[in-house]
Amino acid sequence: MRLEVKDIHKKFGEKEVLHGISFQVESGKALGLLGRNGAGKTTTIRILMDVFHANSGEILLDGKKFVPAKHRIGYLPEERGLYPKRKVVDQMVYLAVLRGMKKGEAKESAKKWLARLEVEQYRDSKLETLSKGNQQKVQLASTLVHNPEIVILDEPFSGLDPVNSQILKDVVNELIAEGRLVIFSSHQMSYVEEFCDNIAIINQGEVVLAGELKEIKKEYGRDRLMLSAEKLSVEELAQKVERDWQELVTVQERKKDFLVLALRDGADRRMCLEKLAKSDLVVERFGIFEPSLNDIFVSKVGE
Amino acid sequence: MRKFWIVLSYELKEYFSNKAFMGLTVFLAVLGVIALFFPRFVDLSNFTGVKIVGGQEENKPSNEEKDVYLYLDQAGVVREEVLKEMFPGVFWQKASDEAALLAAVEAQEAEAGFVVTGTTTYRYYVFNRSMTDSNTAMFDQAMQVFYRMDYCMTAGLDYGQITEMYHVPVTADVQILNKDSGRNFWYCYVLVIIVFMLIVYYGQMIAVSVTVEKSNRAIEVLVTSTSSNSLLFGKVIAGAIGGVFQMGVLLGAILMAYQVNREQWGGMLDMFLYIPVEVILAFAFFGLGGYLFYAFLYGAMGALVSKTEDVSKSSSGLMVVIMVVYFFSLVQLSNIDGTVIKVLSFLPISSYSTMFARIAMGTVAPWEIILSFVILVASNLGAGVLGARLYRMGTLRYGNPIKLGTALKDLKKSE
Repeated sequence: MRLEVKDIHKKFGEKEVLHGISFQVESGKALGLLGRNGAGKTTTIRILMDVFHANSGEILLDGKKFVPAKHRIGYLPEERGLYPKRKVVDQMVYLAVLRGMKKGEAKESAKKWLARLEVEQYRDSKLETLSKGNQQKVQLASTLVHNPEIVILDEPFSGLDPVNSQILKDVVNELIAEGRLVIFSSHQMSYVEEFCDNIAIINQGEVVLAGELKEIKKEYGRDRLMLSAEKLSVEELAQKVERDWQELVTVQERKKDFLVLALRDGADRRMCLEKLAKSDLVVERFGIFEPSLNDIFVSKVGE
Repeated sequence: MRKFWIVLSYELKEYFSNKAFMGLTVFLAVLGVIALFFPRFVDLSNFTGVKIVGGQEENKPSNEEKDVYLYLDQAGVVREEVLKEMFPGVFWQKASDEAALLAAVEAQEAEAGFVVTGTTTYRYYVFNRSMTDSNTAMFDQAMQVFYRMDYCMTAGLDYGQITEMYHVPVTADVQILNKDSGRNFWYCYVLVIIVFMLIVYYGQMIAVSVTVEKSNRAIEVLVTSTSSNSLLFGKVIAGAIGGVFQMGVLLGAILMAYQVNREQWGGMLDMFLYIPVEVILAFAFFGLGGYLFYAFLYGAMGALVSKTEDVSKSSSGLMVVIMVVYFFSLVQLSNIDGTVIKVLSFLPISSYSTMFARIAMGTVAPWEIILSFVILVASNLGAGVLGARLYRMGTLRYGNPIKLGTALKDLKKSE
């Protein structure tokens, strides 16, 4: 399956909040929708789920108009919510049956997912009696209970402690490995970096960067070097580089333990290595700088 | 349609597995049945006029069971046999003087006391006067009888003959060809009140249950799992069935218990509880139709707010309509074939009470009943679809309650 979002525009009243969102994702891969709070991630997801209607643009699945009701979709909304006063298993079975499963299958599946997320002991409890973290896990189990082919998770890690985050990470990895199409939004870059083959960074209703994460990182790392030296602080090293290496590099960023250097036009890594060999610096680290997703994100949306 | 049934059965399960709901239903039904079985086990002859002793009725209470009334005749006009005849449940005793009479009434040894001071004047003593006290009215009549008897005696006339002439018995053979409004009025009145209570009480419950889905944020999961039509129709119809079940069990138990004990009640509750089958059927169809119509509107009102405490604010307009219809219906029961009630019986907001009242008490052609019911069914569908669209539109609109006018404008814009 290949899901394509093409040039989505959305207005609330007179205010346009999405100005042409486009991205695509395939089965067996995960797309990370990134953006600051209020960037338009949740609105985009809600349009995907037909909660809101777009003013223009189209969403295609394998080239045909995407109608969410015709597919098994597991959707975890940003606004978490189930019935607090009803039994966990009852509402899971109810949602699975509503989404097309038979009752017997739904009961089995609910049992399986509650066990997988380590909350099976609460199957007959009322939701409101569970801790917030366990409620989150029940919500996730309800999202996946009907064996969805498309999984859309809006900020799935918010509110989870590190242990529960690890369980969720494992589940998401399994979904990807099983060939599901996964979309999830987050502003926690480390999780996105871990699962996503593709990303789309949304800023103020626009996609400012989209594509394969590996390629994006490569592109952002091109012509950038990292350098640190013994007995010199980052600041001292930066002053030295700016003074002695100015024909080859500029100091692009001061990290906690090293400098990020950008090659000048005409300079290359070999020339830098020769310069380094001739200098009195005791090198600690020298190499190609690979930016983190956080670096890329900040460079794209950070003011 | 399958999803509608899934929603309906899930919501119904919620009602029927609710211990408070089921417990209240059973408790009220048992309470009603016990109350109606009372005259079988407890002597209510003062109230019902029927006393069951050894399976046979006995209407005359003994002197010990009668209330004691005292009288003092200062004018020499009182005839005790007249008093006994006019006050059959009273044991009359003559007081020695006014002070003794007053003391007995004050000590509550006597229920009441009368001091006749002249041929047309008397004083009445009572310890606590009840709202239904009719002693003075009765005693006025007794005084008039004493006066007439004295007058006849003085004028040499035969009081017995004159009385016979005035009260010559007339026999009427009444043949009611259509409806007996006098007999049907009270149960119509009661049934209108019952539908009104059903609409207001359960309508509010339905609105709250819709709002709860917004307030606990389950609505986004639900509207992305099935259509809003399935959700609203399922939810509202489940609430309606819950209400009808509760009221049905209660009414059924009461009507059956009354049937069993009708003789013991001396038929005194016939005007409320001895309802012809055709009226019950009309009540079932029109009452249920009107109840569903308002239930859908209540569901829609619930979708316009996101906090349960705002539900009453959102549904206040609807409440005004229901109240106006209620008062008009009751007032118009006494003019059952009038133009106003005829018009009201075709409007979906009021046909639930006015059409079945016309069926019970007035003259109504079959085509009128059919047309009114078709309008009611069509209005139900319209209200359901409109409610579902408002429900869908209200999804994720949190904060201040959405005004109905604004919601309708937004719906029009989104078309």
